[in-house]
Amino acid sequence: MPPAIETTDLVKEYGDLRALQELSLTVEEGEFFGLLGPNGAGKTTFINTLVGLVRKTGGEARVFGHDVEDDYRQARDAIGLAPQEFNVDRFFPIREVLMHKAGYHGIPEEEAGERADEVLKRVGIYDKRNERFDWLSGGMKRRLLLARALVTEPNLLILDEPTAGVDVQLRHDLWELVTELNEEGTTVLLTTHYIEEAERLCDRVAIMNEGRKVTVATPDDLKTRGTDTISVRLEDAPSVTPSVGGYAHEATLEGDRLEVRVDDGGSTAPQLLNDLEAAGHEIADLEITRTSLEEIFVDLTRQDDRTTTRSDAPTNEEAAGDEGAETPAREQEGLA
Amino acid sequence: MLSVGFRALFRRELLRFVRRPKNTFMPPAITNVLYFAVFGIILGGRIDEPVAGIGYILFLVPGLVVLGTISNAFENASFSIFHGRWNEYIHETLTSPLSYVEMVVAYVGASAVRGLIVGVIIAVIGRLFVPISIENGLFLVATMVVIAALFAGFGIIGGLVARDFDDLTVMNQFILRPLVFFGAVFYSLTMLPSTWQTVSLLNPMVYMVDSVRYGLLGYSDMLEIAPAAYAEFAPYASLGVLTLLTIGVIAVDVYLFKIGYGLTD
Repeated sequence: MPPAIETTDLVKEYGDLRALQELSLTVEEGEFFGLLGPNGAGKTTFINTLVGLVRKTGGEARVFGHDVEDDYRQARDAIGLAPQEFNVDRFFPIREVLMHKAGYHGIPEEEAGERADEVLKRVGIYDKRNERFDWLSGGMKRRLLLARALVTEPNLLILDEPTAGVDVQLRHDLWELVTELNEEGTTVLLTTHYIEEAERLCDRVAIMNEGRKVTVATPDDLKTRGTDTISVRLEDAPSVTPSVGGYAHEATLEGDRLEVRVDDGGSTAPQLLNDLEAAGHEIADLEITRTSLEEIFVDLTRQDDRTTTRSDAPTNEEAAGDEGAETPAREQEGLA
Repeated sequence: MLSVGFRALFRRELLRFVRRPKNTFMPPAITNVLYFAVFGIILGGRIDEPVAGIGYILFLVPGLVVLGTISNAFENASFSIFHGRWNEYIHETLTSPLSYVEMVVAYVGASAVRGLIVGVIIAVIGRLFVPISIENGLFLVATMVVIAALFAGFGIIGGLVARDFDDLTVMNQFILRPLVFFGAVFYSLTMLPSTWQTVSLLNPMVYMVDSVRYGLLGYSDMLEIAPAAYAEFAPYASLGVLTLLTIGVIAVDVYLFKIGYGLTD
């Protein structure tokens, strides 16, 4: 089976702004893949390129081996997208909206009705099936976006910030549901700002910044790339920072508290204690703080910022502005 | 062409206007009752027959049918596309596996149907004011279908080009309406001096109104003013050219969908 998503040197330019910069990424079939990055990193542009809402400037993009432009019908048929913005047909009750979407994917009317009922039950808004989108609460709207993505029974489910601004209960419901879908064999691509979400759900994550791929790894691998901090309280505050071994990246002393930054706190702590005791210090207590994925994420994107040349990268403001332009706030106008 | 996906989109487009008769069918019905009452009865009673044997109110019927048909076909297509773009729910269609031809034909087809329904409503209202007998039924149907599809096709372009709702109003009020009003809806070309007759022939609307009048009443200005050798074929030539134009406009629609004009970033 070809990968669920395979892009090679994918480029998207908006005038001088390069929203995607030679992005090569592979998501295997059945994976739960996370896409992390700050605002304007190009996550939504990447997704929209796959579903046909953004036309790539260069490179290649395939979904289950189907080119997103040459074989757009097969590629789009395989994808169910729950976007960030509420882009739902306001003219019809939500059950009919789902039936229409299923219909566009070639599902006959009767079966489309059954599927609409099924997904509405699955996301917990079946009672609202005869309401129009505008009458739903924010959380229900978010659930409907997921139902619409599921009604076509996609092989690839793309969730663009699905839990942005939703309450804890809904977030947990959504997590449970997508985990279930993934276990049933659906490939999931998730973009999120919530690091905890990626850590909890994803098999692998890609970190993006300014249209580039910074790294791809499992959440656990990423965490090993961070440093731990061993915080030691000494019985007597020394006048100068004690000398420690080469394993320490940095050691700082504040009163009686010594903080030492190391690669692996667990295995380094005994040696640090030995070294301190050998130097005549008495230890009162010790605490190891592991780096969070969030800190690693911030660190990686910051490092990338430093190495990105000004000539080929947009400013954060430009990039954020671009994302804003992709998803302008819309108002409902009079219906004729 | 008649795939499940195409039928789903076509049905959605039909239901959108069928379920809102207050917004879609009532306004043209009321407007045309007023047209027939004021122009046909109050003013028309004081106007001589524009052409021998056809009273003014009867003469008005084909023009008003065309006016209603094309403006509604245009309005439906442009609104449906633009509103979908504005609220971004056109993404439901764009991210589906429908081909670009299926998308365009569904939008154009449903909008043409709305135009034709409005055309029939206007004809029925006209019938309440004056007896009408259809002279060239097949020709009439063919012409009506072609011009409804043509303006639905133009409506798609309008919906893709528009940047806000005002643009749609501008297209309808400043382009469509003047062409229709100078398109021999309310007068016969034979009533104009020859210079203005010639100028009028540059207005494509003249051929549409004239063809529908030929289909409905059996009278065509073209039969009167075209050179004798061509006069006999004039209505058919008009229909032929309009058909080609419609195919051309729909091809442009498909091309615009394909390149994502106004639809994709």
